[in-house]
Order: sequence, then C-alpha cells, then structure tokens
Amino acid sequence: MNIPNHLPNVNHLIQAYRVAPWRVQRQWIGNALLIVLALAMVAALYLHVTSRTAIAGREIQDLTDAIATSRQVSSDLQTQLAGLTSAASMESRAREMGYRPVEPDELEYLAVPGYVAQDAVDLSSSAQPQLNVLTISPEYNQSLLDWMDERLVSTRRFQ
Amino acid sequence: MRQQYGRRSQVLAGALALFAFAIVVQMTRIQNSPEAEIFRQQSEAYAYEYRTFYPNRGEIYDRKGRLLAGEKIIYEIGVDLSIMTDPHAIAFAVSDTLGMDYDGLMDVMQNPPEGLSYIILVDYVDAEQALYLQELKKALNEQAPEGSVGGLTGLQFKPHPQRSYPENALGSNILGFVSREGTGYFGVEEKYDSLLAGNPVTVLVPTDPNKAFEIPNAPDGTTLILTIDRDLQAAAEDILDTALGNYGAQDGLIAIMNPRTGELYAMAVSRRMNLNKFWNYGAVYSNATEFNPVISKSYEPGSVMKVLTMAAALDSGTVTPETTYLDTGSILVGGVTVENWDRNPWGLQDMTGCLQHSLNVCMVTLSTQMGAGKFYDYMDAFGVGHLTGVDLAWEAPGRLKIPGDADWYPVDLGTNAFGQGVAVTPIQMMSAVSAVANHGRMVIPHVLYAMVRDGRQHEVPDQFGATPISEQTAATLNEMLAISLEQESSLALVPGYRVAGKTGTAQIPVDGFYDGSQTNTSFIGWGPVDDPQFMIYVWLERPTTSPWASEIAAPVFSEMAQRTVILLDIPPDSIRQQLALR
Repeated sequence: MNIPNHLPNVNHLIQAYRVAPWRVQRQWIGNALLIVLALAMVAALYLHVTSRTAIAGREIQDLTDAIATSRQVSSDLQTQLAGLTSAASMESRAREMGYRPVEPDELEYLAVPGYVAQDAVDLSSSAQPQLNVLTISPEYNQSLLDWMDERLVSTRRFQ
Repeated sequence: MRQQYGRRSQVLAGALALFAFAIVVQMTRIQNSPEAEIFRQQSEAYAYEYRTFYPNRGEIYDRKGRLLAGEKIIYEIGVDLSIMTDPHAIAFAVSDTLGMDYDGLMDVMQNPPEGLSYIILVDYVDAEQALYLQELKKALNEQAPEGSVGGLTGLQFKPHPQRSYPENALGSNILGFVSREGTGYFGVEEKYDSLLAGNPVTVLVPTDPNKAFEIPNAPDGTTLILTIDRDLQAAAEDILDTALGNYGAQDGLIAIMNPRTGELYAMAVSRRMNLNKFWNYGAVYSNATEFNPVISKSYEPGSVMKVLTMAAALDSGTVTPETTYLDTGSILVGGVTVENWDRNPWGLQDMTGCLQHSLNVCMVTLSTQMGAGKFYDYMDAFGVGHLTGVDLAWEAPGRLKIPGDADWYPVDLGTNAFGQGVAVTPIQMMSAVSAVANHGRMVIPHVLYAMVRDGRQHEVPDQFGATPISEQTAATLNEMLAISLEQESSLALVPGYRVAGKTGTAQIPVDGFYDGSQTNTSFIGWGPVDDPQFMIYVWLERPTTSPWASEIAAPVFSEMAQRTVILLDIPPDSIRQQLALR
C-alpha cells in the first residue's frame, strides 16, 4: 500500500497498530497447538475410557469364571454331603450307635389334629435375576466410539 | 539477514511438511495396499472365536429331596511344555501318585505332537489325588527355586465337573448313568437326557479385550425330583438280596408303585452297578435288558395273569363271583390237555376258589367261554404286548400272540389265560392290574414327580391309561383276591393290613420246551384293600429251595409290604378307619 509522504504520522500510526509478523506466527502456532492439545485430550480421554472398559470387561469375565467355579464347588460339596448322608452310610452310623430297624408291632400311631404329612419335597426357591450384559447399563460396557457410532446411527435413522 | 532466516525457516517448514505429507501418503498407501487387505483378512480370522458355554447338568433327587445324582469336581492334569524344567520329576510324581506308566509319561512329554505347548497327561483324576499332587508341587517349589531341576514346574491342574452318584449302586437301574462325554445311558439319565443336560450356548467372542462381549445366559439343566423313595428303595434292595440268598434264586426284582397314581416308589433288581464306575457295565450285564428287568425283561408270568383273565370274565358277564364249575383236573384245548398245577381235580369251585387255588383248568374254561375275540380284546385293553409309557429308557413291549399271527395256535387261548405262552414285563403287569386297584382305570407308571427350573418347581400330573373294566368289576375282583389270600392263609398276608394279590408260578421255556425243573415265581399284591396305596410286584427267577411262588414270592411280598407301610407312614387298617370316622 502506498502511503503519501505528507502523512508520516499516519504511517507511524499504522505501523504501530499493525500486528507484528512474529505475532501472527505465534497466533498460528498457538492455534495449531490448541488443536493438537484438543486432539491429545480427546485421545487421552478415549484411551482412558477404552482402558477402563477393557479392565471392566476382564473383571466381568473373571467374575463370571468365579461364579462358575463357585457353582462347581457348591455342587461338589453338596454331592459330598449327600455321600455322607447316603442310605448305606446313615444305616451304618445308626447301627454303630445301637439303633435297629423298627418292627411293625413296635410302632404306635398318634393322630395329630391339623398335621398334614408332606408327601414330597418342594425344591422351589425365589427366582434370582440373572445378571448379564443386557441388564447392565450401556455406560458400563460401551466405548466412546461405540456411543458415537450409536448416536450417528440413531441420528441418521430419524433424519 | 532476518529475511534470510525467514526464508530458511520457510524452506525447512516446507521440507518438514513435505516429509509429513509423504509419511501420510505412505501410510495411506500401505493401508490400502493388496498386502494390507491380506493382513486385514488374517487378523479378522483371529479377531473372533466361537466359544461354547455348557450348562451344569441338572441334579436328580428322590421324593424326599435326597440327592441321587449330582456333580463333583475332577481334574485334568497336563504339562505346559514352555515352562517345564524337569520331565523326570513330573513323570515320577504322576506315575507314583496315579499308578501310571513312567516311561509312557516320559515319552509323551519328550515327544509331544508338533506345535503343542500344552499336553494332557491324564484326565478324570479324583480331587484327592489331584490335591496331593498340587501339595507336592507346592512343597517342592518352596524347597527349590522356581524352575530348578527336581521341581514340578509346568505341571498344571484344570478342574471340571463330572456326574457323581452319592448312593453308588442304590437305584442304579432307575437312574442310569452319564458317560464322560456327557451322554445319558439307561434309566432317567437317558430318558430325560436333553432336559438334564440343558442347552449349550455357542457365541462369537471377540479376542480383543477392549470389546466387552455379551456373556450368554446358559441356564443349568433341569433338576428332576423322582417319585422314588430312597429309603424304600434301600429296603427293597436289602429284602431282595436276602431273598435271593434264602431261596437260592438266580435273579430277582421287587417293584413298588402307587396303584392310584402310577408313582413308582422303588424298583429293586438283583444286578446293580456302582454308577460312579460305569465303565464296569460290561462286567455286570451281558445285555441291555438286564439293566432294569422291571421294564425291559419279558417273561411268562404264570398265574398272576389269572387276575386279568378273571377281570375279563367278570367284566364281560361270562361269570359272576358265585358262578360254579366242576373242576376235573384237566381240560382239552386246541388238541392239548391242560392240567392244574398239582394235576389234581378240585371238584366244585366258585370263582373265588378258582383264584384261591390258582386253577389252570378254571382259567382255560373262562377263556374258552369268552372266546378268542373277547379274551384278546381284553388283554389288548389291559396293555399286554404294548409299552406302558413308563418314563424310563429301554422299556420292552412284551409279546401277546393273537389269532392270525403265524405262531398263534388254538391252545394259546387256554395257556395264555394262566400266563403261559405270553410274554410280559413286570411293569406291564403292574400297569394292567392297577385297573383292579384303581376303580377299573389303569395308571401309567412313572418316576418323574417334578421338574425344577429357574427356581420354580413344576409338578408332573399323574397320567392314566385305558379303563378296561368297570368300577364294579374292579371292586368285586379286589374283594375276591383279598378273600382268596385270607382263606388260603397265604404267606403274603400282612398283619394289621388287608391286602389283595395273586401268586404266579411259571415254567420256563428252554429251546421251545418247558423246563419242568425250573420256575419263575412271582407275586403281585396291593393294599390296603379299601384304599390301595401301594402295589408290590415280586419276581424271583429259578429259586432252588422251592418251585412255588406261594412259598417263595408270597413271603417276600409280605416282608416288603411290612417295610412299605412303615416307610410310607400308612397306619394299620383299624387305626386308619378310626381316623376316617372322626
């Protein structure tokens, strides 16, 4: 731009208010660094979320294995208990303690009003809810990318 | 000067940008190259794997909730070759503890199949032995640093469940067993195999740990509650074993059923096997029918069949209880002379006397009076020659020859009437005779009382079969059979309880001819007569102390009935009737 010589003061003024080149460079660098920083933050956040998801996934698998193992141990103990109280074992223990099978003429029947003998066992129990991934809130099993993908898909669906 | 620096900076920045751009271009090129596609395909092949989740097999309980079949933990023992340091120590420890061949173990460890880093040394090891080896490994590792020679580093233990039967051989013929592959054989294990086993779930699982996969819900197999009473089963087996010894019988069985519902309380057989050692099956049984002869073994039952013949004659109106006939000791049917069991004439008899003295001539008279059509129609209605539908594997249908069959002869109309020339299973006889004890309606024998799934118990309703005779006929015959036992002062009588029943002594066909020296002795009886709550079938095969059922099977019935009323809490008739009047 040509500045008339008769306006030196104006030149000085423009010179004074013109942004220095190094300032412009610094602004560019600053902006670039901001973008890099933002990207780094997103990446760090993503890494954090995915690592937590991976850890949670592993923990779920470990807990599932622990449940299966506990069930096996429970079944094993139940079977061991049944072996200890088996017919042969109980009869043998009873005989060792001096008992013998009752004879029909030694029995005395008593009528107990209101007593109803149980004919067979009832093994029903309160139903316990089964915990699986479907019952776990998505916040705990969805990665950031999964969440974004789901959002995008749902947005597209409603367009 | 400053401008020069600026230019140089610009050149450097440009070069660096160009370099960065080149890197991006190269990355893009590599990622889209044909090789990259191949790598991607290869990685996808390993990105997921199919994994099958097997549910735990359902348990089996008796009617009082006592475990008959459960699961126990056993171990697979293997070696991780990548960390194994001393194969000699491992081979020595395993061979010494489990009684295995040392050289064989060394060979497996030193010459493993190519590409394998883990090899199985032995599977199905009892927890006790596996725990001993684990302790040994721990002790050796504590003494010597990890990985040094002499330790058991690399020896690994993998627990897994296996079917276990805490009662061992008790009720083995009812339960059946499960092979190591998880397949049920015989009895309840085979009949309800799919229910007990549950449904394995196979899912595609990502190998990437970042991807949380859906844990499949593979519900455990259904738990079954049987109608069997463990204590009654134990008592029946005990009484049977004693009877076999006392009477020198070759084989035998005792079956107990509720004739009003069809619930089987016990089925004792002479050949039993420890189900925890099912691999001994071949040593115990020579064929499948021997596993549970109550449902699988057909035989000529003899005079217990007279219950059905008399039921048919009464129901068809051919005779009444008071009808008399003159017993001459023999009768000609189909060109063959049939005689009474003692070959003597019994003179004038009514129908109760006919049953009381178990007269063959009387039965032949009845069947010939009814005619083949009517007689076989009744036998068919009673289910003779048909499966009862009992919920156990390997039921046999028996065989009833009828007119028109190539091997049926007119004499069969006579012999079938007293239980010869016809093959039935004990369960078939119980089902048929249940009509007499259950107002004319047959029950379908069963062992399943209830199923437990997801914590809920679903009881199985009783099922009923045909109604071959009227309620009136059933009541009449019920009374006749009770009187016949009482008048005979039978050894089958049960003190304090009125019971009805019938003996059966049958000759055994050998190579097409009856062997006069050997018999099958049977007894079917039920009680209390006014409200039947148990039906007992006894069959003792080839007894040596006496050939007659009245001396062999009848007292076994009585002994079994006396234990049954105690274990089922059935008070004597007098007390029960007093309670009913209140």
